[in-house]
Amino acid sequence: MNHMPLLPALILSLGFAQPAAASSERAVPRTRSVAEVRATLASMPHGNVQRGKQLNQGLMCASCHGDDGVAPTQNWTSLAGQRATYSYKSLLDYQRGGRHENPRATLMQVAVKGMSRQDMADVAAYYASLPAKAAPAPRLDAAAHARAERLARRGDPTRLLTPCASCHGAAGQGGLNETPALAGQSVGSFVRTMRDYRTGRRITDANQGMRQFAERLTMQEIDELAAYYARMGKN
Amino acid sequence: MLNRRDFLKAGAGIALAAALPARAAAAAGHIVIIGGGVGGATAAKYLKLYNPALRVTVIETNRTYIRPYGSSEVLTGHVGMNDLNVSYDTLKSKYGVGFVFDTVVGFDPAKKQVRTAGRQTIAYDKLVVSPGISLQYQAIPGYSAAVAETRAPSGWIPGSQTALLTKQLQAMRPGGTFVIVAPPNPYRCPPGPYERAALVTEWMRKHNPSGKVLILDPKDSFVTDATMQLGWHRLYGYNIPNDYLSDMPAGVKNSGKPSPIEWVRAMDGGAPQSLDARTLTVMTKQGAVKADVLNVIPPMKAGKLAFDMGLTDASGFCPVDRRSFESSVHRDVFVIGDASIADAMPKSGFSANNQAKVTARAIVAQMAGRAPGEPVWENTCYALAGSDYGLYVADVFRLKDGKITRLPGERYLPLDASMAKIRLAAAYQQAWLKTFTEDCFA
Amino acid sequence: MGTLMKSLVFACAALAATLPSAHAAEPSGEAMAATCAGCHGTQGRLGTVEFVPLAGLSEDEFVRAMRDFKSGKRPSTLMSVVANGFTESEIRSMARYFAGVKPSPAQ
Repeated sequence: MNHMPLLPALILSLGFAQPAAASSERAVPRTRSVAEVRATLASMPHGNVQRGKQLNQGLMCASCHGDDGVAPTQNWTSLAGQRATYSYKSLLDYQRGGRHENPRATLMQVAVKGMSRQDMADVAAYYASLPAKAAPAPRLDAAAHARAERLARRGDPTRLLTPCASCHGAAGQGGLNETPALAGQSVGSFVRTMRDYRTGRRITDANQGMRQFAERLTMQEIDELAAYYARMGKN
Repeated sequence: MLNRRDFLKAGAGIALAAALPARAAAAAGHIVIIGGGVGGATAAKYLKLYNPALRVTVIETNRTYIRPYGSSEVLTGHVGMNDLNVSYDTLKSKYGVGFVFDTVVGFDPAKKQVRTAGRQTIAYDKLVVSPGISLQYQAIPGYSAAVAETRAPSGWIPGSQTALLTKQLQAMRPGGTFVIVAPPNPYRCPPGPYERAALVTEWMRKHNPSGKVLILDPKDSFVTDATMQLGWHRLYGYNIPNDYLSDMPAGVKNSGKPSPIEWVRAMDGGAPQSLDARTLTVMTKQGAVKADVLNVIPPMKAGKLAFDMGLTDASGFCPVDRRSFESSVHRDVFVIGDASIADAMPKSGFSANNQAKVTARAIVAQMAGRAPGEPVWENTCYALAGSDYGLYVADVFRLKDGKITRLPGERYLPLDASMAKIRLAAAYQQAWLKTFTEDCFA
Repeated sequence: MGTLMKSLVFACAALAATLPSAHAAEPSGEAMAATCAGCHGTQGRLGTVEFVPLAGLSEDEFVRAMRDFKSGKRPSTLMSVVANGFTESEIRSMARYFAGVKPSPAQ
């Protein structure tokens, strides 16, 4: 993979080409309406997997997210099998300064600074083309597994919790629009994300939709769901 | 101030006013550390980590440490003077390190004790000396400590001179010249003078767009010189000297237009000969250079304490056994950090931190009657060519034939590095300021 | 748990000190790990996350990371320089050390 000739366009974006969408303003994070998110995704360029693979290396993404989209440690998020719409939207959120939940987000803002929308669509297409792999996770006993599976598949009407699967897919493969895949996500990343939704540190999802669910789950349930989805990827 | 003979005398034959027991504590032993900078603080922390039963006492003049690494960011207002302050509280509360805020004025290696200005006599089983550097102001005719405090600050040991230099930069006339006189080798923080030049240039683009930065250098090269100059070129239109141009990536071409940053090497007549503090003029072989703000980073030697204690050799630094950093002059005395002679290791905070750990392990081994293990050291200096433009030098060092040797191979940011890597290096530099301080002091 | 972990770390350190190493002059895992601490936290127990906290990392994760930095499969700023400074067996012994350290709660 390292011996492939670089595409001319890649050389440009590794150099000093100014990205069309780059903005240095430090926007106040705000949630987006469903219509806004749809409009963003409607204008998403068609992604080139091969170029995305090159960019994953050249733009240093692979350093934290893995050559094959599998994060080398719990410190980062795995992207293999992630829906392109979600990756694309996330990259845009970072570039627009909408993500400040922790120092990782700060690093991401730096990392995406020079990316064009085409670059974003390309890496997103590359990650979507990769198989999600099962991530290391604590083994759940039968009761814990049953609890997680119930929440994932049936939800909990007593707490107005819709099943995770209704948006994230029965196999954690992601769903409509930008709803992310969860299968194979590292436990660390899953738990951190849910915590950030709970506390309102992360609000860039449409209408802050995730907060209501994250708030109603206990930390134990979140840990169990994390292990449940981490093990869901391919071995 | 005591001369060296008085200093040694002051250490001998006094026990009356002892506030601490003159005999070292019986249990695991008493390690005394002079100097609470990066080297001393790290040694104290790691001694307690490696053997919590040891009694560890740091003798330090100042109650708060002012960190030198990253202190050029005060000039540009990226941080304030107060952001450089580092507290000793965690070393005390979390690790049980004892602190004596006092100044050492006497040393008796035979009795293994030191004496302070506050008339305490402190006995040790092992003594770690981490005195940092002393700035040789007088080495440049016309320069002095008094001139540095009032007219032409060095700001190389952070404090009042850093604040003065910041004020001078902000008050500089439009179109003025900020002259940096770079030091000869060896000196603390090898990329530091050039990073400072870069940050001041970046600041002036916004606040004094016709201002200039001029570096006068007694050397012909410096650590990270190629990558730093490439950064200056990209960010400020710096004209790269011909002998460096051939290694630069394709497409890098000098505009030939005057640039707001200029580096005059020794071979081009940049070596400073003398200076006139009144007119802020530096004399070089090329002639007189008039500055509007004059920042002189003078030659450096081991901290004064190392001289007073008789630990230095003719080089002005302290010879040590490289495996343990035990002084070649006195047994049971260890010299770490900028004051020590460490061969290929640069004089940097990262080096001092790594030397402190090697010494801490050697001391713990010695106290247990074991030979010290095989040492290994690392150094990483991140530097900025602009606030979003990071670069670095990194090395792993091993002991080879009694000398500290750099392993061969790549050590710099590649000249063809992508902008993503360069931006991340700048972000990592900022993160490192935090994580490094934590490893030394918390 | 904490005590068990500590005695485990101690046992590993003691083992490293007594066993002859493959390499004539190989520093202990703990000694090598100390060189990482300026960025990755004391004993790898980093309180922030820009760099990867190494405490509690599985041996395999650590070894794979260092190997990929060496080969360039995993791009880095300066980790390739650092990884190139250690032999395979040294990397293993560093990995054993970090795997035995309890992660910081802040991780």
